[in-house]
Amino acid sequence: MKRDELLKLLRQAYPQYLSGQHVSETLGISRAGVWKHIEELRKQGYEIEAVPRKGYQLISSPNSLSHEEIHARLETAWLGSELIYEPEVSSTQDIAHTKAQAGAKEGLAVVSDRQIKGKGRLGRPFYSEPEHGIYTSVILRPDVMPYQAPQLTLVTAVAMCEAFQDVTGVTPEIKWPNDILFSGRKTCGILTEMQSEPDRIQAVIIGVGMNINQQPQDFSEELQNIATSLRAETGETYNRAEVLAAVYSRLEHWYVTYIHEGFAPIKAAWEHYAVSIGRELTARSATSTITGKAEGITEEGMLLLRDETGTIHKIYSADVEITRSDS
Amino acid sequence: MYDVNEIKELIRAVDRSSVGELEIKGDDKAKLTIKKEGQNTVVQTPVETQIQAAAPAPAPAAPVQAPESSSGAPAQAAEEKEIDESLQKITSPMVGTFYRAPSPDSDVYVNPGDTVQQDSVVCIVEAMKLMNELEAEVSGEIKDILVEDGELVEYGQPLFTVKSK
Repeated sequence: MKRDELLKLLRQAYPQYLSGQHVSETLGISRAGVWKHIEELRKQGYEIEAVPRKGYQLISSPNSLSHEEIHARLETAWLGSELIYEPEVSSTQDIAHTKAQAGAKEGLAVVSDRQIKGKGRLGRPFYSEPEHGIYTSVILRPDVMPYQAPQLTLVTAVAMCEAFQDVTGVTPEIKWPNDILFSGRKTCGILTEMQSEPDRIQAVIIGVGMNINQQPQDFSEELQNIATSLRAETGETYNRAEVLAAVYSRLEHWYVTYIHEGFAPIKAAWEHYAVSIGRELTARSATSTITGKAEGITEEGMLLLRDETGTIHKIYSADVEITRSDS
Repeated sequence: MYDVNEIKELIRAVDRSSVGELEIKGDDKAKLTIKKEGQNTVVQTPVETQIQAAAPAPAPAAPVQAPESSSGAPAQAAEEKEIDESLQKITSPMVGTFYRAPSPDSDVYVNPGDTVQQDSVVCIVEAMKLMNELEAEVSGEIKDILVEDGELVEYGQPLFTVKSK
């Protein structure tokens, strides 16, 4: 695409000016055509200075998740190499599901600035605001048995923590199994969906919605106590393509580690970030509620809760809440 | 105390043998009795299996029980000769919570009487926040739904019976 090539030329020329004549010759378009593309880039948020007789200079790039912005930063071997970017989608997860069913390869990623439908666990919507966040879904095709696949939610949690730590310098915490918290508030929602037969995984789709550049006042009153963003925590604005590149890089690393070495290294890393260990937690499922002190996780990733009678319960499926943080 | 997988392994062993009843008494594992009645297997154990605690052991003792088909083990086929031979089962590939619908206010995936294809999604089994959209892997008509919405299911537990056409 001419516009991507123009952008590349502008980057290469920096800090020199790029002459309109040169662009016109290189890309085989008229001077008026060059001007049209420059105008189009400006509309997309690129700041481009034009000086008569010198040419064009790229001053700054928009905080966008376009192909161009992501691939300029991506350092993965395969995750995200194939990328579908849409400025606005109903749900990145739905697109990834459709692609997976059509036979898309492992590593295909769908990314969007804004998600209208929002798809939380069991269809619960999560907060979605234009261009403050990142919404992405990644297709994985792990060669493990379906009963092992739930461990991937912990793999993702570890990857998210590392990525956020790399980018912000602040260490987040994990609440079992995969809530990522800063100061006790969620900064991303992870939804992991699997298409499987009883003995074979077709695909695992990992969906992550991240709060990046919202300010505290951008959250509704109801959400302020439970949601936060990277910016709200540190006061800094983040380039979202850079955050996303870090997320893909850490996710690829931990996923490959899991496939080759099993769950043990994931467990160690997960426990490093686990805020819930040693605290009193309440686990609610459709059929029962158990309150107890979190003892850790098992070799399979299940949460261990010791209730007041001393009985240890293995929690495999429940909503977990920290009910007392001082214990 | 017997864990879920030990119990399952014992049931399978009794199932495949000509033994009608197995009783084990011991200090450690308390008491376990497995009786075979016709084609039904009855388990009596004082060990209360904690619903939440149900865990898939590192690796299940036996490979995933695929829906029983004509290629099933001869022993099994013999045992089940009184059951409608075209009735197949869809079993859970993992321990987790069984959901009949994608969300509480959505329509259920299937009802008894519905026709399913091999790739029809019939339910969700959730564990550790992973939502497994389970495909039927068999085609036919859903006869019975064997578990309640929101119930915790075991590895290999039958969830649906399907009458093939």
